[in-house]
Amino acid sequence: MGMSNLNSIKTQLKGKVQEVVVQRERRLIVRTVREHLKETMKALIALEGFTHLSTITTVDFGSEIEVIYHIACEDMLISLKVQVSKENPTLTTIVDLIPGAVLYEREVHDLFGVKFEGNPDLSPLLLPDNWPDDVYPLRKEWTLGRISEKMRG
Amino acid sequence: MKTFRIPFGPQHPALEEPINFIFEVEEERVVNVNPRLGYIHRGIEKLAESRTYHQNVYLAERICGICSFAHATCYTQAVEQLFAMNIPERAKFIRTIMAEMERIQNHYLWLGFTAKGMGFETLFMYTWRDREIILAVLEMISGKRVNYGVSTIGGVRRDITCTMIEQIDDKVNHLENKAKYYKKICTREQTILKRTVGVGILKPRDALNLCAVGPTLRASGIRRDVRADEPYAAYGEIPFRVITYNGCDVASRILVRIDEIIESIKIIRYCLKNIPEGSIRTTVPRKVPEGEAVSLVEAPRGEDLHYLKSDGSDKPARLKVRAPTLANLPSLCKMLIDINIADIPVVIAGIDPCIACAERVVLVNRKSKKRWIYSGNELWRYAEEWYRKK
Repeated sequence: MGMSNLNSIKTQLKGKVQEVVVQRERRLIVRTVREHLKETMKALIALEGFTHLSTITTVDFGSEIEVIYHIACEDMLISLKVQVSKENPTLTTIVDLIPGAVLYEREVHDLFGVKFEGNPDLSPLLLPDNWPDDVYPLRKEWTLGRISEKMRG
Repeated sequence: MKTFRIPFGPQHPALEEPINFIFEVEEERVVNVNPRLGYIHRGIEKLAESRTYHQNVYLAERICGICSFAHATCYTQAVEQLFAMNIPERAKFIRTIMAEMERIQNHYLWLGFTAKGMGFETLFMYTWRDREIILAVLEMISGKRVNYGVSTIGGVRRDITCTMIEQIDDKVNHLENKAKYYKKICTREQTILKRTVGVGILKPRDALNLCAVGPTLRASGIRRDVRADEPYAAYGEIPFRVITYNGCDVASRILVRIDEIIESIKIIRYCLKNIPEGSIRTTVPRKVPEGEAVSLVEAPRGEDLHYLKSDGSDKPARLKVRAPTLANLPSLCKMLIDINIADIPVVIAGIDPCIACAERVVLVNRKSKKRWIYSGNELWRYAEEWYRKK
């Protein structure tokens, strides 16, 4: 990744993000907060060389959930990270900016229980219709044993 | 006008990924479509958290029976990123050869399915016969027809010997001639042209907005391929063309894949000629350092992404997999709107999902709740009849 490109990204994201780190060759990590997610996303989409959103990953950090938007650009892959609390895991949707995010948001909603405000359809995509409401299978507290106990009980 | 709801799928015993689409139709036209996944969600991401890094190589390989090498390579690359290690040059070439052979077998398989979807059973038989040739080569190298077990953390587990190289040469020459012949058929044969030209349109703008990947994207004229954009394995050293077509329809998706077969053969030839000597694997340290990695691979169906997070223990803290079919579903839904019911099988087949058709179809009249149940074969027959009358 060219230094000039990195500097221009930093300038454009100034004030919106907490940090911009080069992780390794072609990999960039950008950290932001919920309130600034949408503006940051807009700025990243506007970057020259932006190509598409590869997917949305979610990682369990105990009391927090980290949501990672994998944004593909021509010369790098940006991981845009934002943390939400497990108590109140809500984020604004980005489907109005990137229509292709629609199924990724539903997947994250199913498996981690992150709610995307403004997403028109968060009905189950992967989980069965009779799945209990408060069980988010990829959260660490839901061990395989606990899930099967809940399903049986 | 009455609107009908048609659940399409999900049960399908023959293919790997059952899926359910609910189509809303007005007479022959599809006006809305809703996908529903999860019928064979196996919880692999959860399972990976309870297995060691090496065990997960084999788990990743079993995500998909057809793109198994792509998934295994994508996963091992992610672990290698965590180690910040380079694998031997020879291993990179072997990975490239295996990946391209997998692409060839996948594209021949797909061409057969698509041909079957439009009722051209002869072409289906021909392409599946030819696919056996490349499967035999894969078996010669790895000992297996699927789930090759070749890619591993730090390199590959099987070498390609001189005698193998001679045999591979013969086989790929034969396959190249066949691919050229099929290209001629697919550009001239009326049976194919009538069912594919202008069918299942995905405009370049929609393809970009909906984040399409792989041949589906390239058939809408967009030149994007992980092998060229972010060269992994030995792709950085190999001259090759990224195939694109501008038709934005099923016909273009066929031509992109046939040309990719021919291009893959050229890549394999180049690799076999220029493969460096040396070891095929380096020893890896026992302990995986803390950190995270994102790995990309161009699987036969498009961009495949693995995200891996390590907390320093012997098992990953998180493995996230995004296979290309999920990335192409929003585009597929777009292509399905405003087409004829008769075109559903061929348009779904067009993105090369693991679900080229569905076992049974239920037609529901929304007002009277009246149902008709069609099997997949009956839907194909219906489609063929409809086209015959047209």
